[in-house]
Amino acid sequence: MTVLALRNVSKSFGPIEVLHGVDLALEPGEVHALIGENGAGKSTIMKILGGFLDPTQGDILLDGQPHRFSSGPQAEATGIVVIHQEFNLAADLSVAANVFLGRERGGFRLDHASMRTETVALLDRLHSPIDSDALIRDLSVPDRQMVEIAKALSRKARVLIMDEPSAVLTHREVGTLYEQIDRLRGEGVAILYCSHRLDEVAHLADRITVLRDGRVVRQALRGELDENGMAAAMVGRELQDFYPEKGTPDDTIALEAVGLNVPSEVHDVSFTLRQGEVLGIAGLVGSGRTELAEGLVGLRSATGEIRLNGHLVTIRSLRDAFAVGLAYLTEDRKEAGLLLDKPLRENLTLATLERFGKLRLDIKAEESALDHATQEFDIRAPRRDMPAGKLSGGNQQKLLLAKTMLPDPRIIIIDEPTRGIDVGTKRQIYAFIRKLVDEGRSIIVISSEMTEVIGLSNRVLVMREGHIAGELSGARLTEENIVRLAMGVSSEAA
Amino acid sequence: MKRLDLHTLGPIVALIALVILGAMLNSSFLAPANITNVLARSAFIGMIAVGMTFVITAGGLDLSVGSMAAFLAGVAIIAMNAALPSLGANWGTIILGMIVAIIGGLSAGWLNGALITKARIEPFIVTLGTMGIFRSLVTWLADGGTLSLQSELRTLYRPVYYGGFGWITWPIITFAVVAIIGEWMMRHSRFGRHVEAIGSNERVARYSAIDVNRVKLMTYVLLGLLVGLAVVLYVPRLGSASGSTGVLWELEAIAAVIIGGTALKGGTGRVWGTVVGVLILSLIDNILNLADLVSPYLNGAIQGVIIVLAVVLQREKSTADER
Amino acid sequence: MKRRNLMKGAALIMTLGMTVGGAVAQEAEKKIIGVSIPSATHGFMGGLNWHAQDTIARLGKAYPNLEFVLATAGDAAKQVNDIEDMMATRNIDGLVVLPFESEPLTAPVKAVKDAGKFVTVVDRGLSEDGIEDLYVAGDNTAFGRVAGEYFKGNLAAGSKIVVLRGIPTTLDNERVEAFQKALEGSDVEILDMQHGNWNRDDAFTVMQDYLSKYPKIDAVWAADDDMAIGVLEAISAANRNDEMWVIGGAGMKEIVKRIMDGDKQLPVNVTYPPALISSAIEMTALNFVSKAPMTGRFIIGSQLITPENAEQFYYPDSPF
Repeated sequence: MTVLALRNVSKSFGPIEVLHGVDLALEPGEVHALIGENGAGKSTIMKILGGFLDPTQGDILLDGQPHRFSSGPQAEATGIVVIHQEFNLAADLSVAANVFLGRERGGFRLDHASMRTETVALLDRLHSPIDSDALIRDLSVPDRQMVEIAKALSRKARVLIMDEPSAVLTHREVGTLYEQIDRLRGEGVAILYCSHRLDEVAHLADRITVLRDGRVVRQALRGELDENGMAAAMVGRELQDFYPEKGTPDDTIALEAVGLNVPSEVHDVSFTLRQGEVLGIAGLVGSGRTELAEGLVGLRSATGEIRLNGHLVTIRSLRDAFAVGLAYLTEDRKEAGLLLDKPLRENLTLATLERFGKLRLDIKAEESALDHATQEFDIRAPRRDMPAGKLSGGNQQKLLLAKTMLPDPRIIIIDEPTRGIDVGTKRQIYAFIRKLVDEGRSIIVISSEMTEVIGLSNRVLVMREGHIAGELSGARLTEENIVRLAMGVSSEAA
Repeated sequence: MKRLDLHTLGPIVALIALVILGAMLNSSFLAPANITNVLARSAFIGMIAVGMTFVITAGGLDLSVGSMAAFLAGVAIIAMNAALPSLGANWGTIILGMIVAIIGGLSAGWLNGALITKARIEPFIVTLGTMGIFRSLVTWLADGGTLSLQSELRTLYRPVYYGGFGWITWPIITFAVVAIIGEWMMRHSRFGRHVEAIGSNERVARYSAIDVNRVKLMTYVLLGLLVGLAVVLYVPRLGSASGSTGVLWELEAIAAVIIGGTALKGGTGRVWGTVVGVLILSLIDNILNLADLVSPYLNGAIQGVIIVLAVVLQREKSTADER
Repeated sequence: MKRRNLMKGAALIMTLGMTVGGAVAQEAEKKIIGVSIPSATHGFMGGLNWHAQDTIARLGKAYPNLEFVLATAGDAAKQVNDIEDMMATRNIDGLVVLPFESEPLTAPVKAVKDAGKFVTVVDRGLSEDGIEDLYVAGDNTAFGRVAGEYFKGNLAAGSKIVVLRGIPTTLDNERVEAFQKALEGSDVEILDMQHGNWNRDDAFTVMQDYLSKYPKIDAVWAADDDMAIGVLEAISAANRNDEMWVIGGAGMKEIVKRIMDGDKQLPVNVTYPPALISSAIEMTALNFVSKAPMTGRFIIGSQLITPENAEQFYYPDSPF
C-alpha cells in the first residue's frame, strides 16, 4: 500500500524544466534512498513531496488519491515530515522550545514541564546528552542535527523525508541515526533518504532510485546495486579510479610547525609538510582540526613557531598568511567562504582586490580573471551575473577554490574539500588537488570522509582532543587505524 | 538584468512622478528659485545620508548624526566667536570655524566607530548613547538657549549658503560632489567593495583577509566627516545653533537611505538611490507647503505612507526574485 | 535679568510675598517642592529652564528649610514618570508643573493633589478644573489678540499675510483663534497657515515655500521669535526684505534689540515671558514659608513691545 507517490511529475522554473516525468513511490516500512549528483533534481523532489513546491505537471498521490498541499505545514499535518539539510531551528530558543515549535503544549500558559519531559525522552532515545534547556546557538553542528532529528521523531510521521542527515554527524551519532531509522521502519513509517554517502545507502536502503538530470535512470531493490553500480548510474559512466594516482613529494620541507597552540583548542602540535605533498588531517568533528588550520593562517590567535622553507614567519592575520604564500579554504562554504547574495566576480576577487587596481577597481581585469577561473576550474554558471548562492554546491566549491587560488599560494589548506557535493564534482576537485601538487605546491587536506583522506594523502595526521594522536602512511594508512587513533583506542592494528 | 533595472529605477520613477505632480499643482514649483530652495535644503540631510549609506551597507547604524550636527554647529560658532577679537572678522576666522567643524566631525565619527568596533557594543546602543550626549552638550553650551554667530562674521559667512554660480548655490555644488564621490567609492573602490562584503556576511569578509574592524571604523569616520561638512554649510544659513538644531535628521537620513534601495540589514549600497531618496523627502515637504492638498496636521502621515510604500515595493520585488 | 516689571499681577504678589516671607519666622521643618517642566527644546523653553534653575538657586539660598527637585522631560510620558518618582522617592510637599500636554498629565497631577500636596500648574491648564491650588499662566488669547490688533491697525485694506503656527497644541490653537478673531472685520487676507513648530529651521523652510508660492505678501505673523529668525533669513535670501514686515513673539533679546534700533522689518513684538515659571515657583515657596494662603489664578498679560518702550524689555544677559 503506497503512502505517498509522485506520478509523472514535471517541474519547471521559468523556461527551464528541471524534472521530467518522475515516478516515485514510498511504501510503509521501507527506506527508499534517492541518489544523484547535485543538480539532478533531488531537492526539487523533496520540496514537492514536503509541500513546499507545486509540480508543474503530474500528480502527488496521498494514499492513492491525488492531493495538492497548499503549504509545508499542511503537509506536516497529514504526517509528512521533512528534515532539512539547512537547519530550520530558531537559534535563540531552547532545544525543547524548538522541538515543539509551532505546536506548543498548554493553553494560554505553556506547559513547559510536559514539553521538557517529552524532549528529554526523545533525546534519550537518540542516546544524545544534549540538555533540553540549552539554546540552539550554543550547540555544535552535529548536536543541532540531532535536535532536528528529535524534532522529526516527535511529529509522529507517516512519511519521513531526510536530506543528508548524516553529513555533519560523528561516527557514533550516525550509528544512533541508523538505529532510529531501523526502529521507524519497524513501526511502518515510509522513509525517503537522500545521501551522497553511497556506503550508507547500500547499508540502509530497501529500494534505491537514481536520478540524473531530472530523470529517474534506475530503480533497484536492496542488493541489486553495489556502490560502484550506484556511482556509475549517477554519472552515466563507469568510475574505475575514483582518486587520482598519488604524486611523489620532494624532500624539501615547505612548512614546519613547532609547538603550535591555539588556546583551549589545539595543544602543542608539531608537524612538517614537504613540497609537492598532500598531508591529510583526520579526526572526529571537534578534535581541533579546523582550529589548527585557522591558527596557522592567522584567523585565530596561536602561539608557536611556523617556518616556511626554513624561514621563521610571523602570521597574525590572514593578510600575513597571504603575504607568505599560505592560503586556507574554509569548511563552511556558505557562512565563511562565499557571499551568497553577490555575483561570481565579486566573490572571486574579494580576498585579492588590491591586485585589481590601486584606486579604481579594474572591473575588466576582474571579468577576465573570472573567465580564466571558470575555464580552469570548470565553474558552470547559467549566467555570469547570478548570485553565488544560486550555484549548485559543487560549482560553489569550485568557485571557492578559484578564489582561494587567486593569491597564488604555495601552501593550501583545504578544509572538507568535498562536503555536500556530488560525485562528478568530487572527482574534478581531486584532480585539481593533484594538479596543484604537480605544480610544486603543498596541500593539507582536512576531511571527515576517511576514504577521501586515504585516497588523496601521502601521509595522514590523526587528531584527537587538540593533540596529534598519530601519523599514518603507506600500508598503515587504513580506515581502521584512523578510527583507532581518532577514538583513542590504544594500539594500532599491525 | 531587466528585473534589476526595474528595481533600481523604482525610486527614480517615484521622484519623476513627484516632480510632475508638483508642477501640475503649482506653476511656481519649477521656478529656479524653488528648485534652488529644495536642492539647497536637501544638501545637509543629503550629505549625511550619503555617509549613512556606507554605515548601513556595512551592517551598522548611526542615530547620533542629528545631535552631532547640532553639537558641531555649536562648537564651530563658539570657536569663531572666540577667535573674533584676536583674528578679526575675516575669512581666517571662518576657515578656523570650518576646520573645527570638520575635525570635530572626524573625531565624533571615530568615537562612535571605536566604541562599536573596539569595545564591541551594538551600533544602535552606542549611537543612541552619543545621540543623547551630543544633544545635551549643545543645550548645555547654549545654556538652554541659542548660540549665535557674531553679526560681522555672519555677513561674511552668509554667501557660503546663499551664494554660488547663479541659482546653483554652494550647498548644491557640495552635495553633488559628495554624491558623485560617494557613488564612485561604493562602485569602484576597494573600500566600497569591502563595505558591501562586510554587510553581506561579516564572517566571509574576515575569511577573505579583510580588516573588518578598520573598514567599519572608517565608515563611521566618513559619516562624521560628512556631518562636519554639512555643518560648514548649515551654520551660514541661520548663523545659530540650539538644542533644536538637527532634530530627527538621523531618521530622515536613514529613511532616505532605505527609500533609495539600500537594505537596512546591509550588503547592498546604492548612493544614487540615497540621493533620490533625499530629494523625494524634500519634495514631499515642498509640495505639501506649496499646495493646500491636505490639512498640515497630516504632513507627517503622508511622508510616513511614502516611506513605507517605497520599502514595500522593493520588498515585493525581491520576494518575486526568490521564486 | 528677570522681567519682573512685565508681570503686573505677579510682580505685585512677589513683592508682597517677599515682605511676608521676611516677616514670618522660618519654620524648622524641611519642605520639598518638586518642579516638573519640559526640557529646553527650543528658545522659549530654554529661557524657561534658565529662569527655573535661577529661581531655585536663589530661593534655596534664601530659605534653607526649602528643598527643590527639578526634573525636565522631553515628552508627556517621561513627565508623568518624573512626577510619580517625585511622589514615591522624594515625598514632595508641593509640586510646580508646566504640563507637556494637558490630557495625559491631568490624572497624575490629580493624584498628587489627592495625596494632600500643594499643586501649582503653570501656563498650560489641566483638562479638569479645580485640581490645582495655584494657576500661573501667560495669556495665550491676549498673545494672539494683541498681534492681530496690530495687523488690523497697520495694514491697508486688501493686504495679504501668511502665518506660521507652532507645534500643534491647544496653546497654539488658542493663539491662532484669537489672532483670527482680532482680524475679523478688517480686509486683511490670511493666505496660508503652516506649522513651523517653533523651530528656526522648520520656519525657514516653510517661509521659503510661502515665498515661492505667493508673489505678494505684505506681512508675516511668525508667532515666536525663533521662527521669526528663520522667516527673516528666508525673506532676505529671496531679496524681498522691503516687501513685508514680520511680527514674532515672546520677546527674544536679539529681536527686542532690533526693534529698539528701529528695524523696519520688525516693527513690534508681543511678550510672553518665560520668567512666569519664576513667579510660580516663588509663590509656591511662599505658601510654605509664610502663613499667607497662596491660591488662585494669576494671568500674566501680553504686551506690545514698540521701538519706544523696547528698552525696558531688553535683557542682554538672559539666554533668550
